[in-house]
Amino acid sequence: MIPNSTLRVRTTILDDACRGGVALRLASLAGAALLALVAPCRSAAAADGSPSAAAGGPTTSLRDYTVPSIRLVRDDGKTVSLEDEMNDGRPIVLNFIFTTCGSICPLMSSVFSQFERRLGPDASKVHLMSISIDPEQDTPARLREYARKFHAGREWQHYTGTLAASVAAQRAFDVYRGAKMSHNAVTLLRAAPGKPWMRIEGFVKPEDLVRDYKQQLLAGR
Amino acid sequence: MTPWRLALAGAFLLAALAPSAWASATPAGGAGQSIYLRGTLGSGAPLAATRESGGVGIIGADAACVNCHQHSGLGSREGRLSIPPVAAEYLFHSRAQNAGEPVLPYVEGVHGNRDPYTDATLARVIREGVDSEGRPLGFLMPRYALGDEDMAALIAYLKELSQRRVPGVTGTLLDFATIVTPDADPVKSHGMLDVLEHFFAEKNSFPFKPTPQMRTSGRTQYAKSMYMANRHWRLNVWTLTGPAATWGAQLDKRLAAEPVYAVLSGIGGSNWAPVHEFCERNAIPCLWPNVEVPVVAEQDFYPMYFSKGVLLEAQLIARTILGPDNHSAVDAVEQVYRADDSGGAAAQALAAELKGYGVAVHSTVLPRDARADRVTAAVRAAALHKNARGQALVLWLRPGDVASLREVPAGAGTVYLSGLMGGLEKSPLPEAWRERARMTYPFDLPDKRRVRLNYPLGWFTFRHIPLLDEQVQTDTYLACSLLADVLNHMADNFARPYLVEQLQDLLEHRLITGYYPHLTLAARQRFASKGGYLVRFRDTGGTALVAEGEWVVP
Repeated sequence: MIPNSTLRVRTTILDDACRGGVALRLASLAGAALLALVAPCRSAAAADGSPSAAAGGPTTSLRDYTVPSIRLVRDDGKTVSLEDEMNDGRPIVLNFIFTTCGSICPLMSSVFSQFERRLGPDASKVHLMSISIDPEQDTPARLREYARKFHAGREWQHYTGTLAASVAAQRAFDVYRGAKMSHNAVTLLRAAPGKPWMRIEGFVKPEDLVRDYKQQLLAGR
Repeated sequence: MTPWRLALAGAFLLAALAPSAWASATPAGGAGQSIYLRGTLGSGAPLAATRESGGVGIIGADAACVNCHQHSGLGSREGRLSIPPVAAEYLFHSRAQNAGEPVLPYVEGVHGNRDPYTDATLARVIREGVDSEGRPLGFLMPRYALGDEDMAALIAYLKELSQRRVPGVTGTLLDFATIVTPDADPVKSHGMLDVLEHFFAEKNSFPFKPTPQMRTSGRTQYAKSMYMANRHWRLNVWTLTGPAATWGAQLDKRLAAEPVYAVLSGIGGSNWAPVHEFCERNAIPCLWPNVEVPVVAEQDFYPMYFSKGVLLEAQLIARTILGPDNHSAVDAVEQVYRADDSGGAAAQALAAELKGYGVAVHSTVLPRDARADRVTAAVRAAALHKNARGQALVLWLRPGDVASLREVPAGAGTVYLSGLMGGLEKSPLPEAWRERARMTYPFDLPDKRRVRLNYPLGWFTFRHIPLLDEQVQTDTYLACSLLADVLNHMADNFARPYLVEQLQDLLEHRLITGYYPHLTLAARQRFASKGGYLVRFRDTGGTALVAEGEWVVP
């Protein structure tokens, strides 16, 4: 296990490498070996609705994140430990959403929904998790309603909790941007506890998510 | 702001009197509007769309344009994602080739330099996702199945989004109203108006420059900088009279005589519904009134509130009584309130929250002019109902009634007191009750909010504004400063829906949030602060509070 301080450095490098920023300088500081973890960034363009971004798809990278010791409230109203939810042995597909979000979240959630459907019977082996970044609004009842709208199966849970817990979860996965309207589309995949996370920035299509998921499972064995 | 910047601010403003003046809050209804706002086609069938990747289809309200492009049609920004404006002016605007042409006000999602759309290329981009220059759009924008008639209606609607002038806005003046209902507390009203008048006076004390029409430099076609709207603010105080059934008509009359851009702050008693309805019907933003009983209709767009007031208190009490497992510790709840006061709505809300959990809810309603000793008698009688698992006594009473309480009746059980109605930490609750009563506290705790209040309280002191009600007056100040901030940010876009959208987005970034720990809104969210505390008094005297547990969002 790599100590936390190293992990922080690594995350910084990967972020910058994908942004085409100061990766080289940092890489020389921390050693090029770490960069080997980075899958080639497919594109630096934001996958938005603008033509300029249309050419670029989402970008992917591999990361190590430490799952924080926090308690969240699952959509069935039960208070649960995030570590327990993530470490039950199943592969995880994770995103961050809020139920009154107009553009990004409905698309991410419908991709999750399609992902479940495309996996077919294999869907029962995965754990899909959606954590609210607007937890005071997104009560368990509102999350259940949202989940129904996207035909969430038994393997897909939504989570809320205190604002502090949600922020801690967002920070742990480097998606916290200060306000819900500053959020970006990020999907995270992990084959098993202890394995690295695959981070997909931007809008991933359902068929690509299935492909990435299967690749992670193969790599994880 | 320095005089130099002010001068620049003037230079960057578009005269609102220009012929193609700015967008309307409520373009005429019709097929185009129902496609845009509701995702319903002219035939009544739901709008359907797909994304380039097979399978991710959307339908009906989920496919409606408004979800991304907003009511204003001016688009939005989410993280790194730009949602471009679709109000026709932005789509059809020609490339700025010649210096001196009028320019469009900047919005965040605007595209820099692109061939203008025509009706034909606009139909193509909506159906096929290919832009005016033949480039494909990104994954987020769906491809819409629209027949020719619906397409024409939708394009006509996008043109309407840009066409009308905004009432209450001229090149030199912004008109606002504040609304006072006859049942509002007169002392609090006075305190609120004092803050508003001083804020407006200060706003207007800055030197003004003329606001010449903004023109392009020939290199860019949009005004890129965001400057303060260099206009006077004028306050119209609309004081309502008579029965609530007549308020709507009174407001319509005032609006016709004094067209206003938005309603700011305001104060009500137990009934705010006619004002809420007026705002939504006339598409006028109604920002942060001081009301204990707001209207809970989060699908409505124009009214915004700080919190649900006593309705939130009722939810906090219900959550405490039911506990985490929804298993009530008591089997009866006795409520006491006066007729025609906010307690009526609160008591009803609490009864609704407890319905279905095996709790008998009973209310004692005192006549509005009953003498204070009737309160003690009513509370004593309420406490006499004997119940197997015990009971809770809920007091929706004003400070005068709270002060008149005598001994705590033997069977009172757990006592809950509305902080909002009862005076918060200054509630004159008699000593015998202070240990027993739990008070709902739908604000941040005094120690935690102190720093956030330093600025407004100092501002009051400097201007010799007497502190009549700290919460109402700092909320009013907060409302004013939120409006001022958002208008700075909006540059010259005065479309009313855009004001609402910008406030929604700006709010969460606000650090100075007065009585509230944090504020956040979004589409279909109209209460910016969503939780509260249960507190009790620490000592037999004084205002020190102890929170019973953490901030709760019921």
